[in-house]
Amino acid sequence: MPSSSSEQAYVPLRQRAEWADVRPVPQDEGPHPVVPIAYTEEFRDVMDYFRAVYVARELSPRALRLTTEALLRNPGNYTIWHFRRLVIDALDSDLVEETLFVDNLAKANSKNYQIWHHKRWLAEKLGPEAANDDHDFTRFILCHDAKNYHAWSHRQWVLQKLGGWDKELDFCHQLLEEDIFNNSAWNQRFFVITRSPLLGGLSAMWDSEVDYTIKAILQNPNNESPWRYLQGLYKGNPDSLITDERIPQLLLNILKENSYCVFAWNFLLDVLCKGLRPNNEIIEAVKGFTELDDAGSSDEDLPTRICSALERMDPIRVNYWAWRKSNLTL
Amino acid sequence: MEGPEPSEFAKERHAAFAEMMLHELPRDYASQEINRVTLAYFAVSSLSLLRSLHRVDKDQIATWVLSFQAKPKETHNVDDGKFFGFCGSRSCQFSEGPGQSVSNLASTYSALAILKVIGYDFQNFDSSIILESMRSLQMPDGSFMPIDSGAETDLRFVYCAAAISSILNDWSGMDREKAKDYIIKCQSYDGGFGLIPGSESHGGATYCAVAALFLMGFIQNDYNNSLSLPTSTIDIPSLVEWCIQRQGADGGFQGRANKDSDTCYAFWVGSVLKMLGLYHLVNKSALRTFLFTCQSPYGGFTKFPYEVLPDLYHSYYGFAALSLLEEKELGNLSVELGLAALN
Repeated sequence: MPSSSSEQAYVPLRQRAEWADVRPVPQDEGPHPVVPIAYTEEFRDVMDYFRAVYVARELSPRALRLTTEALLRNPGNYTIWHFRRLVIDALDSDLVEETLFVDNLAKANSKNYQIWHHKRWLAEKLGPEAANDDHDFTRFILCHDAKNYHAWSHRQWVLQKLGGWDKELDFCHQLLEEDIFNNSAWNQRFFVITRSPLLGGLSAMWDSEVDYTIKAILQNPNNESPWRYLQGLYKGNPDSLITDERIPQLLLNILKENSYCVFAWNFLLDVLCKGLRPNNEIIEAVKGFTELDDAGSSDEDLPTRICSALERMDPIRVNYWAWRKSNLTL
Repeated sequence: MEGPEPSEFAKERHAAFAEMMLHELPRDYASQEINRVTLAYFAVSSLSLLRSLHRVDKDQIATWVLSFQAKPKETHNVDDGKFFGFCGSRSCQFSEGPGQSVSNLASTYSALAILKVIGYDFQNFDSSIILESMRSLQMPDGSFMPIDSGAETDLRFVYCAAAISSILNDWSGMDREKAKDYIIKCQSYDGGFGLIPGSESHGGATYCAVAALFLMGFIQNDYNNSLSLPTSTIDIPSLVEWCIQRQGADGGFQGRANKDSDTCYAFWVGSVLKMLGLYHLVNKSALRTFLFTCQSPYGGFTKFPYEVLPDLYHSYYGFAALSLLEEKELGNLSVELGLAALN
């Protein structure tokens, strides 16, 4: 376990017979070191011996074991990882065992770049047959930390390099069922529908995804993620944003029950600015809710009214809504 | 009134904390020892922002930083793809043996940043090997690797390369057009940027993207001008809205949608707005209130409100965020370089 206070007392390498022939190389701090670290004796001992094998370029079984000890204490050190890879190649070590080692380390240090990079190196060597096991591992990490950025990056890389797309949309759905607010899962969904070779791309998935997202929004309108996702779906087809009947319908449904839903007003503002011709229901909804701070009752007043309403409803962003309002005529 | 108010910036305590870190880091930092030069940059730039650089010996710091510069051996062949920048720690410096020292883009940026903050005269600094060898770290897709021996490539290192080029005032070390192409691919459907194309929008990644574009001259410190630049093919209005949406009801900034506010994003995301000339859109009083709930009684800042123990990273970005808010006890920031301006 990566802890210096493990059950067995640490035996310094200096005292181990196996290493009697090696002269440890201490760290040369130089004069007047800045931000020196108060290393533990264990840390220092292991690093001194690592330096020795690195300099001697000793690619042996005991060197492999030494890198294990060094990495348990210093998993961020890419020099040790690089050297370990040289040893693994030289010894033709068992890669499945190596996967177990790095997976255990990843569980304890799930936000460490070097560990995930090593996993990537292994996955490349093991090839597409290892894809499922790898996905099982990231699924495990994501069960405990559903937004782990490294796990998601790694998962995306494995999908693109080694495959395993067939269950990915279901996986996203499962995570969203557990937490509809999980923005990482929404992002992954977008990744899958746009890039999966099995689904036909955004144009093929667009229609069903709009329905899916609308359902999610209705479930909880005060959730930023699906609103952004919805906007994203229309990016490839901006004309449909202002002609799709589902959009004004969605907005009206929400504003009737949740007249203070900032995301809904924001979305309405955006579609009006993009050219939506508001129907009477929309006009009435806006007028009914907003204050008469501008004279006139024509459609062009709607964005101004909405910005003013947002200044009141969303005080954290009062400056932003005022700025949007001032830019409306541009 | 007795004692400092919770909403008062405890400058002396912060300066004492930064100075203490400069002199010795507690053992918990051992896991970050590979990034020691970056930790030094946090400490030194903090002291500069706190107008307390007079407390340290700048010449000694310069000597120490320069001792991390990786120099090729006489037998070195320029085209072998090795990078010669600055090492991040003593544990990747090797004067003996067949292997070279492993220098790193991030520590090169940190080293040059420290030198810039302490007012080092770059006149006689030979940057040619850094810039020549940096080219081998750029991938065909425009991204950068941090080290020549294989590692992840992402926006962080595109930023580091741009910052290095800017500090050295020499762009021969990177292909700016390719870097821009990569950055554009990192913009997500919601307007923010992920670390690699397809990744979730993230405050740190968004800073790296925009600051790199800013340093390379592809966007400007003026929203309207940025919109009209022909080479600017990122979606700026969506980017602005994404940034603004990151400020939560508690006044702090979150790094991603639906996550908790964290001190450091007040810098990462706030800086993006600053670079676009839109920092005035931030709710400054709410942000200030949030940041003071992260001010540690021991000096420094914590990641989240009401935690007690500070860390150097969140402390530095807490100071930087308050500098953006023009806290009077703090000096100015060079936002796009992420370091204290000469104060």
